[in-house]
Amino acid sequence: MRVGIPRALLFHHYGDCWLSFLEALGVEAVLSGPTSSDIVNAGVIHADNETCLPVKVFSGHLLELKDNADVILVPRVISQGYGTCSCPKFLGLPDMARALAPDLPPVLSPAMDLGDRRFLWLRDWYKVGRALGCGRLATAVAVRGLVESLKAHDVETGCESENDGALSVGVAGHFYNVNDPHVSLRMLERLQGMGARALTIEQSSEREARRQAASLPRKVYWGFERRLAGAVLHWSRTASVSGIIFLTSFACGPGSFIGALLEDELSREGSVPFMTITLDEHSAEAGLVTRLEAFTDMLRRVPARKPASAALERGAVL
Amino acid sequence: MGNLPFIVEDLAHRFDIDYIEPPVFSEETVRIGASLAPEFACLPLKAVVGTFVQALEAGADTLLMGGGSGPCRFGYYAELQRRILEKEGYRFNLIVLDPPSTSLKAAYSGLRGIVGPDVARLGTLVRELKRALAKVVVFDEIEKWVLALKGREAEEGSVARAAEEARQVTSAAFTGKEIRRARREAQLLFEEVPLDDNRQHMRFGLVGEIFVVLEPYFNFDIGNWLGKRGVVVERCVHIADTVYPGGRNPIFGYSDRQVARAASPYLTHEVGGDGLLSVGATAIFASRGFDAVIHFLPFTCMPEVIAKSVLFRVSEEMGIPVLSLTIDEQTGRAGIETRMEALLDLARSRRRRACREVAGLSVAT
Repeated sequence: MRVGIPRALLFHHYGDCWLSFLEALGVEAVLSGPTSSDIVNAGVIHADNETCLPVKVFSGHLLELKDNADVILVPRVISQGYGTCSCPKFLGLPDMARALAPDLPPVLSPAMDLGDRRFLWLRDWYKVGRALGCGRLATAVAVRGLVESLKAHDVETGCESENDGALSVGVAGHFYNVNDPHVSLRMLERLQGMGARALTIEQSSEREARRQAASLPRKVYWGFERRLAGAVLHWSRTASVSGIIFLTSFACGPGSFIGALLEDELSREGSVPFMTITLDEHSAEAGLVTRLEAFTDMLRRVPARKPASAALERGAVL
Repeated sequence: MGNLPFIVEDLAHRFDIDYIEPPVFSEETVRIGASLAPEFACLPLKAVVGTFVQALEAGADTLLMGGGSGPCRFGYYAELQRRILEKEGYRFNLIVLDPPSTSLKAAYSGLRGIVGPDVARLGTLVRELKRALAKVVVFDEIEKWVLALKGREAEEGSVARAAEEARQVTSAAFTGKEIRRARREAQLLFEEVPLDDNRQHMRFGLVGEIFVVLEPYFNFDIGNWLGKRGVVVERCVHIADTVYPGGRNPIFGYSDRQVARAASPYLTHEVGGDGLLSVGATAIFASRGFDAVIHFLPFTCMPEVIAKSVLFRVSEEMGIPVLSLTIDEQTGRAGIETRMEALLDLARSRRRRACREVAGLSVAT
């Protein structure tokens, strides 16, 4: 039995946990290859044309697994933490996957509701283990291992590095866009090449992010976006970066709102420059490079600000 | 949006609220909204921002907005609108009315923020809300009858006249007894409408996101348009069903549980907004033998995009034509009408084909 996992979307968050779960069950896991133009094109052709870029990329990965997996694992991530919910795309992802093509292998969709303190969703994973032909005990152990690995995953706090004078740029965006070199057009590498240090959301402290997100007048209810908003506010309020790039994808629902929210909040606070880059399947390197160059050049010309005086210099922001 | 003006009028009268009737949606509203709101925000946000600007220009000082807690973006509308309008330099007080499912306390304090001092007692508040809800149900029932009868009326305009009169009667009713009497009168008015039984009619289901399905400006008055062409329309989203407690959906007639069960082969989880309802209702319409289903969604609407990609499968497996129409601020009437006409032709030819099959004739055309 080969279980396919598309290397897209929340695989970039929870992939390790899923893989270790399958390993504990003793079934073979098949991953789709790294994102390529073929995968993106296949996704764009088959997926609904109004979905966001990451879902199209996901569809491409799913189609790649069509022939080399017996079942496909698409967990339904209902929430990523207590009091939050996921983007609707994640809630409907397994159903979208089933509707994608008629000859796909069966889709297993255990729920993952990390905000559920009673852990009722673990039953789904137990059923998955049993459906994959594992014994009761082995499955129970694997499920237990999944919980442990998710816990370890949660406490993993980022390393906050000291500002050593080099230009640092915060890249705020979904993991599945930022960490996928093909989708993000190697943005992190490019920033590094321009002599700027790129910080991602993972590298910011989760506790700080939670504290800053709580300072917003209305709670952001999407789990990942709450983390993102908190991290951006933390960067801006402690002036630990010189500028922030908000990376979103075309037709991203939560992204459209959080981007507008952060832009407004940062301009009210008179904080660091903030640039939004929208990715889609037609994004080309030249356009991205020009914008990144312009952004870093501008950051170099604006003198670094101190956190305390940030609010006074409202005129100098983007 | 649908019966909302009548509902607001009723609530304002009940709770003694001084309100400005917002202008009907127009090109100007959409233009203002689209220029202020974020590019990829959904159409309802843009439209409401436009309306708020027009209302503030007309002298409003307090804005009332619904709330929620996801996963649909609607729950964050209020916060974003506040920021957008403040940036434009408007001064106002924004009251967010959260549903009780988000937070009972927030819902109650939101309500207390708008009702006048006359209804100081909780009992009075609850009683008035119950009556208001009963009235909303009657208004929506009238709309349901209009959609069902418009395609079969013998004399053009008779259904519209009956609806006009029924709405007037209902608007004037305030106590429980009056509302019940108004409903009876309204029903009588509709029963008296002469119907043309010889007219062949199609049955279409209307599903989708509540705002674009209910607002005639954005769906190009689809109910009326179809009615003129002899189509009996049934809609699955209603204001009354949305606000009715317990998910009983008295107007649509299928409870949330029944809808979820109908949708379960295709969509097995709530996706926020009206996504699950769209899929479930399409399955219900298909099993009831409807000729086609029209699915309206605003551009980038997250729940409906999922519904749209799943509806493809419902359509194929249950054998019902489904037309998904995406609406944004640039959608033109001609484009929508051409596709509707094509759907109508398709439904007619399917009907003819089915008749020939039953009669044992060759189905080749």
